[in-house]
Amino acid sequence: MGKVSKRAIALLLAALAMTVVAACGSDDDSSDSGSSGEQGGEIKIGTTGLDNADPVMFQTTQAVQAFQLAYVPLLTYAHKEGADGSEIIPGLATEVPEPTNGGKTYTFQLRDGLKYSDGTAVKASDFENTIKRLLVLGSGWSFFYSPIIEGSEEFQGKGDLKGDISGIETDDQAGTIKVTLTEPDTKILFALAEPYAAPTPAAKSPAKQLKQPPPGVGPYVLDIVDFNRQYVLTRNKNWSDIPGIPRGNFDKITGEVSDSVTKMTQDVITGQLDFMTEDPTGDQLPEVRAKYADRYSEQANPPNVYYNFLNVTVPPFDKQEAREAVNYATDSNALVRVFGGRLTPGCNFLPPGVVGYQELDCKYGAPDGKPDIEKAKQLVKESGYEGEKVTYWVNNKDPRPAIADYFRDLLNEIGFDADVKTLDQQVYFEQIGLKKNKAQIGFTDWYQDYPHPGDFIESLLSTRALSSEVTFNQGFVSDPELDDQLDELRPEDPEGAADQWADLDDYVVNEKAYVNPYGFEESSSFFSERMNADDCTGVHPVYKNDWLLFCKK
Amino acid sequence: MATEPATEFALEGPSALQGEPRRRGTAGMGPWRLAFRRLRSNRVAVVFGFVFVVLVAVCLAAPLWADHVAHTDPYKNHLTDTVIVDGEKKDVVTPDGIPIGPTWQGEFFLGADGNGRDTMVRLLYGGRNSLLIGVAAALITTFLSIVVGVLAGFFRGFTDTVLSRTMDVIWAFPVVLLGVALGTALTLSGLQIGPVDISGRSKLIPILIIAIVYVPYMARPIRGQVLSLREKEFVEAARAQGAGSLRIMLSEILPNLSSTVIVFFPLMVANAILLEAALGFLGVGVQPPEASWGTMIGDGVKHILSGPHLAIVPGVMLVVTVLALNIFGDGVRDAFDPRAKIHLEH
Repeated sequence: MGKVSKRAIALLLAALAMTVVAACGSDDDSSDSGSSGEQGGEIKIGTTGLDNADPVMFQTTQAVQAFQLAYVPLLTYAHKEGADGSEIIPGLATEVPEPTNGGKTYTFQLRDGLKYSDGTAVKASDFENTIKRLLVLGSGWSFFYSPIIEGSEEFQGKGDLKGDISGIETDDQAGTIKVTLTEPDTKILFALAEPYAAPTPAAKSPAKQLKQPPPGVGPYVLDIVDFNRQYVLTRNKNWSDIPGIPRGNFDKITGEVSDSVTKMTQDVITGQLDFMTEDPTGDQLPEVRAKYADRYSEQANPPNVYYNFLNVTVPPFDKQEAREAVNYATDSNALVRVFGGRLTPGCNFLPPGVVGYQELDCKYGAPDGKPDIEKAKQLVKESGYEGEKVTYWVNNKDPRPAIADYFRDLLNEIGFDADVKTLDQQVYFEQIGLKKNKAQIGFTDWYQDYPHPGDFIESLLSTRALSSEVTFNQGFVSDPELDDQLDELRPEDPEGAADQWADLDDYVVNEKAYVNPYGFEESSSFFSERMNADDCTGVHPVYKNDWLLFCKK
Repeated sequence: MATEPATEFALEGPSALQGEPRRRGTAGMGPWRLAFRRLRSNRVAVVFGFVFVVLVAVCLAAPLWADHVAHTDPYKNHLTDTVIVDGEKKDVVTPDGIPIGPTWQGEFFLGADGNGRDTMVRLLYGGRNSLLIGVAAALITTFLSIVVGVLAGFFRGFTDTVLSRTMDVIWAFPVVLLGVALGTALTLSGLQIGPVDISGRSKLIPILIIAIVYVPYMARPIRGQVLSLREKEFVEAARAQGAGSLRIMLSEILPNLSSTVIVFFPLMVANAILLEAALGFLGVGVQPPEASWGTMIGDGVKHILSGPHLAIVPGVMLVVTVLALNIFGDGVRDAFDPRAKIHLEH
């Protein structure tokens, strides 16, 4: 029995180890994350990572938090916590220009002496190169600039970086950039304040996706050590102070990439990480709320909506009855539990905090009420798609798989034959945005990129949004009536047209059921004990958390 | 780290036992009967063999428990449902996402998981998957190992070189890493070879992965034994009688490999179940909403503080199953060839 006993013990230990190791994580808090002073040193940030290394191609909130430190556009957002962060301020440009030519032309003057992190001078033509790359590479953000910038559609049609966009005129000597639009659009200044519109040196920004971020103008330099493991932001030695843009309090910010939110949370608790871009899940959430309330906070910020895209170009959601069935059957209260209580039930597509939000009288019932499963079953029958195979798409970041399982169960209950397809978080949004993949239904969410209702309805549901190869209009909605409404609203100040935006919200949810919204997330900010979580949370309406505002105790 | 199974003595099948000094009361007994008698006398092995049979029976009875006791299926979410426990109405999952613990009654006997699914029901259905994958993978491994081992050992030369080096390549990778790499690739894209099209969500994917990565561990000792067997007199006699290679392999070599296969098989099943658990834990084994003990451990980790049983119970089931198979496997080895020291090392 000697041999038997040894093997038995070894196997016992091996099998138990799998449970114990995963459960306990590491309690080693010996790592030094930097100096004890407020300035200098290093902080480590846990994240699921960047979704792309190229500054014109990234899509996620995790990525924008890192990229905005290394890429300052012509205009930018005020680095202030709360609603004040929505203000557009000059970035590389000397001022926020007033439109001329009937609201169609904006002229920017570059600041003097601007240099990229590699020491080369910033040229006005680099801006045009950035917009060209964005269009040539098929960035998901293309529709922010095309066809609204004059000549952009023609340029995009040719797909040649050497081509010209007639609506962008640059003068490298004078440092001027003139942007002419096809029609007035109140969104353009917001779009030009996004980090993906930031100039990068044309010589180092070719017409192909970059594996390593090119030089930029920003307080930090972004270097991807290993795309799936780590990136590093170090101080930009060529950074010349720009008013309104803080220098940042740390010499180095390391992004530690991991798929495990559980481990990430544990590492913030023990101090191995100083902040995490993700939200604690499972029973770590109540633990964090209870034990670490002094360094944990939740905010409905940035304004966001969680919803399922419903692909209107493929069965079964090409039928309105099938789309409505999903809306009738969705139980937001169930999803609140999956989110650990961090979800506010809602059926609006425009979230609270965005101009145009007016709580909808939802025809599918009160968002916090009970679902109408019988009605849903009846609608599925009426659609003629009873028993239709449906694949629910989702990514692997917690608690997304649990959301998928809920909807798989729900879709089966109302009469479909549902299955789940799970992809890695880093490729998920690109894959569901490709028309060839014919994703029928799936998880998605949208955090405000800029404070304008068009960021939701136009970005996610317009025909224009389909012009990008990878689209955010994952339902592939192309509705002339909706497009006409958007055309009318484009030159309007959103505050003055709030009621019309609210009507569009009602149209896409109640009248057409293009989407299946179920709530708005309270996102979290969780810091290590070293960090000052009282005064420096950096909660920002565009960047989610502005790391330039982080500080230690 | 996986290493070559230790074979201090070549296994020569039940026929080898005929050369052993006969004990009292065994005179005239055939080698198979003698082996079974030895196995029966090893009470520890028999008890653990019985434990394994009970586990299999319990898992096979999963639908009965689900339909008649728990009144749910392994996939049904009960996120907003309530259950009466000791006369008190309780949420299956609280509004802040904490699942109910064991109720020790029919419904939610072992509590619920984060989606409000009945843990006991999933444990039983998960056991079916773990056992199915373990046994199926072991069967395929055994078949492939016999084919590779016999061809390489019998023909030697070029055939042996090609097959053995191929096995060496597979062997060069740590089992779990190779399994994870294959699992990640195949669960995403599935497997398409000619007319064969297996979905990435199919249980065939983990079965095939596990089966293939373990082939070298079984094929090598079989090859060694075939190298020895092909020089035996009875093989030469068959050849002298004009038997062809295929006939010799089927009628002379294969029967003499039976004890090796019998000794290896339970050990292979145990290792396959463990590897499936590892793959499931890492998300590249059985795909949701199907459960296996490995995926249940992985899911349970998220609730390790509020519901440690979610990870521990499937872990214990895994341990008991693998332990039972290993102890029974050792008993089989002792019974069929007490001189051999054959085991898979990790």
